[in-house]
Amino acid sequence: MAGKSNVGFRITPHKVSVCILLQLYAPPEQVLVPFPFSTVSQHNRLGLFLLTLTKACDNFLEQKLDELINELDEIGGVLNQWLTEHLMHHLSSFKSPDDLFNFFSTLRGTLGSPDSTVMDDQIILDPNSQLGVFLRRCLLAFNQLSFEGVCHLLTNIGIYTKEASSSHDTRDEDDSNNGLEELVDCEDMDLEHYGFEEIIEESEGRTRGREGSMFHIHVPRPLLEMVEGVELRPVMIVDKGSLFAHHLTDALRADDHRGGMFSRDTNWQPFVLGAAKSSLFKNIFMDLPRLCIHSCEEGVDIAPSSSPSMSFGKYETALLCLGMMHSHFGHLKQALEKNDDTCLSYALTAICNLLSDIGISTATGIIGSSYLPVTSFASSLAIQQQLLELLTRSLKRAENLKLTRLVASNRLAMAKFELLHVKRSLLSFGPKSSTKLRTCPSNVIKELRLSSYLLGEVGVDGAAVTVDGAFSSAWLKNLRKPNSSSVLLQGNELGSGCESFHFGGQPSPIPGSLLQLSGSSYLLRATAWEHYGSSTLARLNALIHSTCFADASSSADRELAYIKLIRHLSIFKGHKEAFSALKVAEDKFLSVTKSGIQMLKLQLLHDRALHRGQLKLAQRVCDEFGVLASSVEHAISLLLLAEIHKKAGNAVLGISYALASLSFCQSLNLDLLEASTTLMLGELWLSLGSNHAKRALNLVHKSLPMIFGHGGLELRARANVAVAKCHLSDSSYSVSEDFEAVLDPLRQASEDLEVLEYHELASEAFYLMAQVFNNLGQLEEREKAAASFQKHVLALQDAKNEEEPLSTTM
Amino acid sequence: MASSSSSSSKESYREELRTAIRQLTDRCLHSASKWAGEQLVGLGAVQDQSKFTPTNTRFQRGSSSIRRRFLSTDTLTPSGGVSYVSTPVHQEDGNYDSDNYLVAMSYFNCKEFKRAAHVLRDETGKKAVFLRCYAIYLAGEKRKEEEVIELDGPLGKSTAVNNELVSLERELSTYRQNGTIDPFCLYLYGIVLKEKGREDLARTVLLESVNKYPWNWSAWSELQRLCTNVDVLKGLNLKNHWMRDFFLGIVYQELRMHTECLAKYEYLQGIFCFSNYIQAQIAKAQYSLREFEEVEVIFEDLQRNDPYRIDDMDMYSNVLYAKECCSSLSHLAHKVFLTDKYRPESCCIIGNYYSLKGQHEKSVMYFRRALQLNKNYLSAWTLMGHEYVEMKNTPAAVDAYRRAIDINPCDYRAWYGLGQAYEMMNMPFYALYYFRKSASLQPNDSRLWIAMAQCYETEQLRMLEEAIKCYKRAANCNDREAIALHQLGKLYSELGRSEEAAFYFKKDLERMEAEELEGPNMEKESARSLLRSIRNAQGGSPSTSSEHFSQ
Repeated sequence: MAGKSNVGFRITPHKVSVCILLQLYAPPEQVLVPFPFSTVSQHNRLGLFLLTLTKACDNFLEQKLDELINELDEIGGVLNQWLTEHLMHHLSSFKSPDDLFNFFSTLRGTLGSPDSTVMDDQIILDPNSQLGVFLRRCLLAFNQLSFEGVCHLLTNIGIYTKEASSSHDTRDEDDSNNGLEELVDCEDMDLEHYGFEEIIEESEGRTRGREGSMFHIHVPRPLLEMVEGVELRPVMIVDKGSLFAHHLTDALRADDHRGGMFSRDTNWQPFVLGAAKSSLFKNIFMDLPRLCIHSCEEGVDIAPSSSPSMSFGKYETALLCLGMMHSHFGHLKQALEKNDDTCLSYALTAICNLLSDIGISTATGIIGSSYLPVTSFASSLAIQQQLLELLTRSLKRAENLKLTRLVASNRLAMAKFELLHVKRSLLSFGPKSSTKLRTCPSNVIKELRLSSYLLGEVGVDGAAVTVDGAFSSAWLKNLRKPNSSSVLLQGNELGSGCESFHFGGQPSPIPGSLLQLSGSSYLLRATAWEHYGSSTLARLNALIHSTCFADASSSADRELAYIKLIRHLSIFKGHKEAFSALKVAEDKFLSVTKSGIQMLKLQLLHDRALHRGQLKLAQRVCDEFGVLASSVEHAISLLLLAEIHKKAGNAVLGISYALASLSFCQSLNLDLLEASTTLMLGELWLSLGSNHAKRALNLVHKSLPMIFGHGGLELRARANVAVAKCHLSDSSYSVSEDFEAVLDPLRQASEDLEVLEYHELASEAFYLMAQVFNNLGQLEEREKAAASFQKHVLALQDAKNEEEPLSTTM
Repeated sequence: MASSSSSSSKESYREELRTAIRQLTDRCLHSASKWAGEQLVGLGAVQDQSKFTPTNTRFQRGSSSIRRRFLSTDTLTPSGGVSYVSTPVHQEDGNYDSDNYLVAMSYFNCKEFKRAAHVLRDETGKKAVFLRCYAIYLAGEKRKEEEVIELDGPLGKSTAVNNELVSLERELSTYRQNGTIDPFCLYLYGIVLKEKGREDLARTVLLESVNKYPWNWSAWSELQRLCTNVDVLKGLNLKNHWMRDFFLGIVYQELRMHTECLAKYEYLQGIFCFSNYIQAQIAKAQYSLREFEEVEVIFEDLQRNDPYRIDDMDMYSNVLYAKECCSSLSHLAHKVFLTDKYRPESCCIIGNYYSLKGQHEKSVMYFRRALQLNKNYLSAWTLMGHEYVEMKNTPAAVDAYRRAIDINPCDYRAWYGLGQAYEMMNMPFYALYYFRKSASLQPNDSRLWIAMAQCYETEQLRMLEEAIKCYKRAANCNDREAIALHQLGKLYSELGRSEEAAFYFKKDLERMEAEELEGPNMEKESARSLLRSIRNAQGGSPSTSSEHFSQ
């Protein structure tokens, strides 16, 4: 029973019924075949039935008493009448809290006696068996009830019994030759219990029941449907007056038919928000909480891990809607007021997601120049704080409640947060306050690992449940056979039970939500890798996401994956390929999230303009970029400023910006960005004069491992050119002695730069090459280099005049 | 002074009460008005046939065994033909209330006390003055309660005071000096004085109030709280109005004059045959006399007639607890829970239920809740103390008992509990002190004497003579568990005084035979064997010794 917890286990009338049957099955006095049963096989049938019932007890909805009785009919055979009567009698004998208390005390006697000898096929109620565990959970849940809880249970049992007895009566009227006495019994009980009005009500209910009986009473409802077909039922019984709740349920159901889009795609927010904008939105507030609370009070067991196919099902959706609504309208308190723990943790997660969606991550992973890793926008500090607090609380709550999937999703959210934010130590004042930052890559990776581990576990659990379900249903299918043909009954019953144990035909689909979660975990990994170093790994993860999880994940996630891939293309394959990919992406995400693609496009345009020396265009694009992205992360903007100052020939100013950027990168563990900043610093020092060449060379060398390992074409080319320039301007270096030290990097650089169409830098590289060859006296080579130089200079001039085709589309 | 026949006197009570209810309600003295209403209905059906209402007839038809008993034994004439002083019905100032007064009343009923007082700031009528002062007083009380919770939490002890007391006292004393004060303001003045610790003056003022206007039960209750001993009661110069008998009833009850109390109430029941209040009070007196069977009968009756009553039901639950009627107790708990779960009594009943079930943690939880609802709920403190004793949490128990004693220093159960707690901590001297305190408050309770005796018996004290004295007291107090006689025998034999020992053993045996205890009774056997050994030691013939002791 992995993944299930007692926290979500509530004692309900149905469970009390099961306990009553359990008591029948294993009475405290250990007889081989206890009283009502005449054969061992009869006894075993009840045992197997109870086994399925206890397994089904964690389901989304619980059976009604009449449904339970119908099923009892199927297994009980001759005993049916007796079992049903006993059950009804026992249920209606609960008149005071003390009766319940005593019942559970005697139940305790059913357990235990582990010393009892196991007879052949008989299942003994061992405390560690499935039934024993169920019983113990029930006992524990009952003992944890407050007096109010016991009173509620008593009331619920009353309702539960009454509902059934009315429909039970109709059934008995149908097969009029038996059960008349019981009918009388029930009536008597009601008279005592409920008085006059209730009887009227009940008779009305009976007529209603009679109408309903057309559908499920004549044809006994197969248990199969009960066990597996939870989804077939309407979501929950909602106050009939609440228009919107119906609206919502209908919408949810309708959406389900459309290939389950609704439950898979977290982009259902527009639906709810859309509804909210309409005049109905007041009703939403009225009804959503009722919807949630009602379903909680209905005794619906909402431990989601136990019903994997429903996990992002309607109930959670309703909860999330509620959370979303409240947080959308700023009623965080109200969202937190729900006192049901599970409900609250879902709401919390929903709020977290919304906050991070609205507040922070609109442009996550999109911005950054081609050689810079992804960084975030600084969202307002208040939202960040709130989010962090909520995340921690939500995570803790989910862990307490052992909601595996929620924990996984919360861990992912945590990782996302840590990627986006720097955790500062709380004490930020005083002269000696430590300014150590608490975000580090290992934390993020830890969160990701944990979440993926949990996801794996959920998968296993889910599969197990499916198999269980298949088993039970197969068993039950088989069960009906003996009833119809007495030949099989006389044969080996257990054998027939075993035969049915084949579940090959049952595919166990991984639920969409699970796919989505693991998909986003890959995306997060990609982002993490971008931050902390490897663009290959980042690309790999993005690729995995877009190939394996494209169907299941939200459009925002898909878009992000595309953006990452395109950026990777632009860095490693040049702008041409990137732009063609961008076109495809733009078509694909036409209307949904224009902004992400738009940003990427601007960024690419900016980079290319910069490369081609179209400084004005770059400036313009940068401005527009600035409008879209309100405040760029400091490190990047500082680096950009440094670059601009370098281009403007103002190296001294540039150095200060580069240094600032460097310290940012170091504190944020942004290794690649740090390398590129170091390179920039080297270039700036070099431009200050040849006496700084040594220092510049040291800096460039420091950045080389990172740049060659993970940097893009441009970055590598720049590093190579910088190395060559450093050598050349160093007075202690002579070309004739070690020309390869210069020529090799220059050749590498020129190759990369030609792919990149980076005319300016390419011309510089060829110019340097020509100079070197000239010094070495290799004239032929010199001419070749000079020709290339001329080509690039001309291209640069052309580009300056040329109207940019893509920029017009902006 | 007018003596009147029973029916006409009943009729006049009825008229008095009707007027009083209207006047009390007008002044927002709701609980006094509720009480008066209960007594009005308690008088029974109206003689005049035209005034029969369906409820009245049904009420009479539903009369119970107890009622019938009283109806059959007592005629409607009050026994002894007591003649009461008739107090003229209080005359109101004007025929109708000012608009401001009406608004203020609504505010008051909505618990907006300050607002009510503000509306009445310029009104000068006596009624308006009273309501204004009363509203101010209640506003102050409300604030005080809030402060206690703010400063020390729901169960905290706090020194917060009602800030309005000073100004109220000044204003009301001026009215009293001027002679413009009415009985209602006197009542309020009494409360204010009592809270300020000026108990003597408070007593005088309240006395004045009830003598002028005897139908305000709240005033009587306040006065009762100031009657801490019999001498004070004797010193009160009360007018002989019929309301005085109700007053004497509760005073006797609180002064533990149980028989007098019972007599008083039974007399009153002759007049107010259908009063649930009197029935409950009788139950209370019987409970103090430990007549649990009687109490149970009364409460069953009360439940039939007044099924949604929660007042005093905690006492019923105590009885059911003592009788270990789990099922009835759970029924009762369920019922009050459905009626009003947030009444301290309800919580107390549930607490008792869990205690009986041995679930002491849950029990404590409900007692705590009861105390959160009413911090001065005496029996909840004591019962919570008992629970803590069961849980072996002596410090918490001691704390709870002390809180109970703070509220009422006459609660012998709390004193006894303290004794028990210290006994558990092996501090017999302390325990002895508390047991003694408890026994002095309830001298007829054998359990207390036995507890004391056991203290004297402990290793640390070994004061066997004193123990014997205590056991003797216990034996004289109808010792139900019959520990005393046996222990006396044992102690005497330990002291080598075999004659006395034999005497007590024999008495013990007689008692057991009288109660016809069945089966092998360890105690009986041991008593027998001890008796035998004593006789053997004496060497005398058994017949002589038995003659010797059977005087």
